Amino acid sequence: MPRRLRCAAIAAGLALAAGAAADFRPAYAHGTGYRLSDKKPLSLEFSYSTGETMSYLEAKVFSPRDEKFAFQSGRTDEDGRFAFTPDAPGLWRLVVRDEEGHLAEAEINVTPEFMAGEETAAALESDAPKGVRLALNAVLGVSLIFNIAAFVSLRRRGKAV
Amino acid sequence: MHISEGFLSPQVLAAGWVAAGVGTAVGLKKLKTDKIVRVAVFSSVFFLASLVNVRIGPASTHLSLIAPVGLVLGWSVFPALLTALLLQAVLLQFGGLLVLGVNTTDMALPGLIVYLLFAARIRRENGPAAAVFAFAAGFSAVILAAAGAGCFLTLSDPGMAGAVKVFLAAHLPLALAEGAITLVMVEFLKKTAPDILSE
Repeated sequence: MPRRLRCAAIAAGLALAAGAAADFRPAYAHGTGYRLSDKKPLSLEFSYSTGETMSYLEAKVFSPRDEKFAFQSGRTDEDGRFAFTPDAPGLWRLVVRDEEGHLAEAEINVTPEFMAGEETAAALESDAPKGVRLALNAVLGVSLIFNIAAFVSLRRRGKAV
Repeated sequence: MHISEGFLSPQVLAAGWVAAGVGTAVGLKKLKTDKIVRVAVFSSVFFLASLVNVRIGPASTHLSLIAPVGLVLGWSVFPALLTALLLQAVLLQFGGLLVLGVNTTDMALPGLIVYLLFAARIRRENGPAAAVFAFAAGFSAVILAAAGAGCFLTLSDPGMAGAVKVFLAAHLPLALAEGAITLVMVEFLKKTAPDILSE
């Protein structure tokens, strides 16, 4: 190796060593950073039919693009809330489940307007009835039970005759 | 107590339907025509009991009344609970349609077991002995249903092996409450309509 080249290599090595010695923090492959996101998050609250909040339970979000693999997973907070930030319009699905076989599933229609920050997303109405609708369904249920019983009774009596 | 859709494997769902189907067939075969109204009444009691929230300590749950229904109906507990659970799934969004067989088996089988274990003793005995048997029936029906639900979940997903312990711990207060309710109901029925418990 020519003498001039050897000197350059030694100088470069010394410069690198000096740089490493000056910055002795642990070396990471990438730097990290953060900033406040300008994207709007969506937050949902989950509760049981008894009114109790579904706290600290496993939650998974599925994007309209991928129904199989979760876009995001985590746990609800103490008040049964879970928030995520959709990155595309479409029908998003949020599933919260406990270890006792209870599962709550919400579908949220994220509109292009929501993505543009112009309006709120339309959360689809939960199927679980509440209030007056619950009372009416309870009455309907009892009525149906007695109708089924009357039907079975009449069929049996008809057969007997 | 209701298991929701999406937790159980197809094999467990199928097994639940087979057991519920056999139980319902036997229950309908043994059901006398003049007892159909009684089945409807207790099916309605079970259907409505799920809407009664009970706050026990920091948690809240709902009643099941599996034991009183089982003690009165015997094998007919299967068609009674199948009908009630079907309507709960459709009208109240409790449980689900695919999981209906498992939920019926999980709740009707404990009802049948407490009938076979305690009904004759409760009929025979009076006073404190009958009260103890009634409480034991109410308590054990909830514990059996909770253990059954935990087993169904574990069979579907061994990762949920802790579910049995969680279920039993979570349902212990309800089991005590239902033991007390069954005791009161049995005492009431023995005084006012003893023929209901007579067969």
